[in-house]
Amino acid sequence: MTPGQESGSGETRPPVVLACGEVRTCLLPALQALDSRAAAQLLGLRADERVLLSERPNLYGRSPDTLTGVDCPLPSANGARIRAVGTVAARAALTEGRVLQSSAYFRVPAAGPDHRRPWGHYLVRPGTVEPFGKLPYEAVAQGLLNGGRHGELDVGLIADGLLTRLLRHPLLDQRPPLKSRPTRLRWVALPAEHGEGPSIERFTLAEDELRTVRLRVPAGTPAGDIAGLCDDLALHDWLLTTVVRILDGIRLGAAEPPARTRPRAGEDRPAVVAALRPAVDHLLHLWMPRARVAHGLAPLWEALEDRPGFTRQWRTLVQRIRDQLALHAIPHREAS
Amino acid sequence: MTEAVFRETAAEPRTQAVPLSHLSLELGHLYMEDFEAGPEHLRRHFERVRPWAEAARAGAGGAGRRARISTCFLIDDYFTRFASPAEVVPMLLEEAARAGLAVDYLARESGCAVAGKTPVAEAVAGRIVEEPPPGSYGLRPPVTQTGWLANGERSPVARAPQAMKKATAWQPPKETAARRHSVFLDVELWDDGPDGHRTWSCPFLAAVWQLARLGLLRDDGEAVLVPQPHTGDSFPDDWDELPPLLRLNPRADPFAAYRTCSVIPSRFLPVEHAVRVILDQIEVDPGALAQTAERSAREDTAVPDSVADRVSYVFYAGQ
Repeated sequence: MTPGQESGSGETRPPVVLACGEVRTCLLPALQALDSRAAAQLLGLRADERVLLSERPNLYGRSPDTLTGVDCPLPSANGARIRAVGTVAARAALTEGRVLQSSAYFRVPAAGPDHRRPWGHYLVRPGTVEPFGKLPYEAVAQGLLNGGRHGELDVGLIADGLLTRLLRHPLLDQRPPLKSRPTRLRWVALPAEHGEGPSIERFTLAEDELRTVRLRVPAGTPAGDIAGLCDDLALHDWLLTTVVRILDGIRLGAAEPPARTRPRAGEDRPAVVAALRPAVDHLLHLWMPRARVAHGLAPLWEALEDRPGFTRQWRTLVQRIRDQLALHAIPHREAS
Repeated sequence: MTEAVFRETAAEPRTQAVPLSHLSLELGHLYMEDFEAGPEHLRRHFERVRPWAEAARAGAGGAGRRARISTCFLIDDYFTRFASPAEVVPMLLEEAARAGLAVDYLARESGCAVAGKTPVAEAVAGRIVEEPPPGSYGLRPPVTQTGWLANGERSPVARAPQAMKKATAWQPPKETAARRHSVFLDVELWDDGPDGHRTWSCPFLAAVWQLARLGLLRDDGEAVLVPQPHTGDSFPDDWDELPPLLRLNPRADPFAAYRTCSVIPSRFLPVEHAVRVILDQIEVDPGALAQTAERSAREDTAVPDSVADRVSYVFYAGQ
């Protein structure tokens, strides 16, 4: 063994200048929410590493990270071709036994060697993808957000792969209690100016189910923490999206169908109540921004609370649902 | 930043630390055929090992301090069950002592498959992250062969030629880390019997053995294959009654170490090549890896980054 192969404390590694990830969020396709034990079974991706389970401030389980090896060009906005090799980390999380997320992410140092190293080198740096040469990180960050061309690193594919694997789990009866669509959130984080705190530069609701987030974070912020923040953003964005759709899909205030002369008990539930009830049963208690966001990144939520005001919108939606249900709870005296 | 007031232990990862020597020196493997060849065979083995063991000791010392070195010996009780510990172990120790060697730790190969109740081999198999060939952009490698692990891309499967079409020409396999020319290796990790019973291959168990000696195995954060002290003078009549890892010398340095060295006959070369291919594609517990890195740095002892590079061998000529 030559000394050159060894990394003592002497070797300085180039700093991480870019982190990127993609989150998939969907309703767990099961009639009943999973309890902690079932959650641990679903998320137990490895025999020798336990699922992290937490009960405060809400029920939450997270799988161990799994790695996928990659060796391909990174997408870049200016067309530069930068080959990179390493591993992308992916994990899954289940909130209140109801909302399933898969999250894949990686970080990239400012520079790397211009040749591929033995695979063992990359495996001791889990979740790191090393560029060949110097990384034009602004162009790559934009390229990653825009989505790459075929054959370029696709972190969404890795999140998808993990989600697909979990959705086939025998614990799931494939009978979701309400209709919803999965969402995708793609994020990049670039270094903040020296001495500056973290900030959200842009949160975009792009085409249909895609959201993109561009962040600035202080040097040394762990990629896992950033992924945790983005999981939290994705979860709450999905909740908003799903509840907005539920309310969108029903015709509020529309004339009731002609009242039958004597409705039989149990059959007179109006369509509005039928549509709103699953939201009350399964979604309304899930709103809990920042429940597990790393201390240093929690302030980023404030920007979104200010504009567009995530929690403000949520409260309005919840209030509308409650008002509707209250209205329908009043017997239609006028009609009788 | 202030320390969090509220904590949940189930929500925090933890990794048990294990004591570490500088070097884990393996004095040999024992298979049935070695035992059947009689004590003289073992005597010749230890006589050949001795100078190399001394050289490894001399090389392990660093910066004027006493190097912590532990010796170990592995007995195969997995592929074939032969004799009994009461017969084998005293003879083994006697022949080692005759050559001036002391065996600090004795391990059973079946402990690398299942140690106590821990399915070690299965857990390690779950940590394989296959080396991606160039062009891997996030799709799972399509060529994954269950139960096999290669150091590169396999030859494409030849399809049966259709009528009027020429058969596809043979394409060579390709070692990913090749320097111009490939040395392609495809390792069988296990096979499943008709009864569904899985038998792990010798190279795979040997890779688990290396990880154990490097102190990098954990089960839910707990150390596995923890040495048990040897009490009393005798050895049991049944291999199952012998702990998977036994500390024979109460004053021995820790079993696990920053590096390993094995002194074995050259017939093991293909197996150990396969071990390297496997070790190079296993993502070991990051907590265990961090503990090794932190402690070796504190001791000012250089440890190679890559796990496969922490393993070394002396192959002596012969059987």
